[in-house]
Amino acid sequence: MTEKNIIEMTGVQKRFGSFQAVSDLTLSLREGEFFSLLGPSGCGKTTALRMIAGFQEPTEGKVVIDGQDMDGIAANKRPTNMVFQSYAIFPHLDVGDNVAYGLRNRGIARAEINRQVSEALEMVELGGLERRGANELSGGQRQRVALARALVMRPKVLLLDEPLSALDKKLREQMQFEMRHLQQSLGITFVMVTHDQYEAMTMSDRIGVMFEGRLVQVDAPATLYASPSNREVASFIGEMNFMPGAVKEETDTSLTVESPGFGTMTIPRNPNVETPGKSVLLGIRPEQLEIAKEQPPEYDATVEGVVRDVAFYGENVHYHVRVDGVDSRIAISVPNYFHTVDHGPGDKVWLGVQGESVIDLGQQSDKPI
Amino acid sequence: MNLRSETAKGTALSAPATLYVGLLVAAPLIILIAYSLWTQTYVDLDRTPTLANYREALTDPLVRHLMIRSILISAAVTVVTVALAYPIAYFIALKAKKKTLWLLLITIPFWSSYLLRVFAWKLILGFNGVMNSALLALGLIDEPLTFLLYNEFAVVLTLAHAWAPFAILPIFVSIQKIDPSLLEAATDLGSNKLESFLRVTLPLTTQGIIAACLIIFIPTVGDYVTPSLVGGSDGKMIANLIQVQFGAANNWPLGATLSLLAMLSVGFVAIVFVIGASTLGRRIR
Repeated sequence: MTEKNIIEMTGVQKRFGSFQAVSDLTLSLREGEFFSLLGPSGCGKTTALRMIAGFQEPTEGKVVIDGQDMDGIAANKRPTNMVFQSYAIFPHLDVGDNVAYGLRNRGIARAEINRQVSEALEMVELGGLERRGANELSGGQRQRVALARALVMRPKVLLLDEPLSALDKKLREQMQFEMRHLQQSLGITFVMVTHDQYEAMTMSDRIGVMFEGRLVQVDAPATLYASPSNREVASFIGEMNFMPGAVKEETDTSLTVESPGFGTMTIPRNPNVETPGKSVLLGIRPEQLEIAKEQPPEYDATVEGVVRDVAFYGENVHYHVRVDGVDSRIAISVPNYFHTVDHGPGDKVWLGVQGESVIDLGQQSDKPI
Repeated sequence: MNLRSETAKGTALSAPATLYVGLLVAAPLIILIAYSLWTQTYVDLDRTPTLANYREALTDPLVRHLMIRSILISAAVTVVTVALAYPIAYFIALKAKKKTLWLLLITIPFWSSYLLRVFAWKLILGFNGVMNSALLALGLIDEPLTFLLYNEFAVVLTLAHAWAPFAILPIFVSIQKIDPSLLEAATDLGSNKLESFLRVTLPLTTQGIIAACLIIFIPTVGDYVTPSLVGGSDGKMIANLIQVQFGAANNWPLGATLSLLAMLSVGFVAIVFVIGASTLGRRIR
């Protein structure tokens, strides 16, 4: 990754009639990074990607790729290539001709085309499958052909529209690593659109989270997880228990808050949110909570509750616990160390949490938790 | 459900169609073959099998001439119709907002009888027809044009109009079936609009084009109404000769022979065309 910005979007808006698909999108992507646009369906992420590709013109604002303003530059003249959600493999062409499609537009000599095609197929581990028909491919192979077809063009930016959503879970996880390695070895900027937070987190250097046409937060996956800039991001990325807190004391780096149930604790301030004021929204990740039969010592805050539901996930066990004074149930996730499920519905349990793992989500909105 | 009752069900369901095809296609065909091997002796039939009719038909220059002309006119009708239909089908499938309305409009000619449509063209193209009157009134010509009617051109024009929906519909369906992301992928990989069309849309609609061509070409070779009404003597086709054999000439065996030869020629041309067109379509990369 370099310090150079490969894509600069400034004040980009897209309206379809009266519908605002993307509002005021300003975003800089660094050369060689793996960037993901993450958000629920209909949040405008695909529209944003299509404006980079040139399939849609921004209603307002500017898209600059590699220092060149893209205004008036058609999709077929842009230094970008795309992996489509449906893969868009040409059904009338075999694998080799699919990959060669773009090269033939460039008027390259036949021998050179064949060399580049076989190289690209090697790269996606489909070496030697040039003459395989488009209809004889599995889902995973189609995805690889789509990748090879785009990468063989040596684009400055590779755009990926939900590239893994059509694959089954195992294959999806395998492709996540493969695509990440491919991106790192080629050094090409990847911009991926996805609604799958895990996909975005495992693959990306940075993630941009979008809601209702707005870009809400751009950060590295770990930062996004630890310091979400608001409640929406906090609940979209991973799971989160929310509760209100009253601010007792504040310093530049910490807040002392009192929450129903857990009582008083000192928590770190979140640099990504506004100064809280008197009341604050607190977030606790399920895996940061301890659950025990006895009151656990060595925790900053503890509270007693009753187990309502138990869900066994294999690697984790999830408990839902009802605590007096807290409106919603508290979710706790415990790693399955010893192949035992220690608590059952109706059991009385203690919950414990360290103040430094509680997330400050800023001023509490009027929205119900 | 066991296999036997499934077979029984299948047979029962296809029985009406089988009966229909058997009675109306296979039986007449057998009769036709039988007739072609017999000989007409004034009012009677000599039922001794002979290939004399075939010998006569194949050596008669008039038959050969009419057969070649029929195929050429049909080919011209096919090319003109498909060439005019493709842009319309393309427009409806990819650009038009009210597809159903457009498709409905295209079928409007069917709401009137085929004969009436042919007569309408006669009125338009005739000596004192719409076209000539309009050109005269505009002062573009001094006397009526005579090359409009009673020739091959009039046959091609009339049939191209009559067949248009048959060409538009299969091509429309084949264009409609193309995943729009394929065209975006072509653009993304550097193709301009023309290149995307030639390298993606066209090869993916080959089947529709072939279907349209066959639907038009095959019945056109056998058409005798249009040539007799607007074709004049230059526009006569093989079917007109066959009609004469079954009518005025009263030589059914020769008529049957000509019908079978026409069928074989059309079949041969159609097969060569399908193979040629599919191969060509596959070679576009």
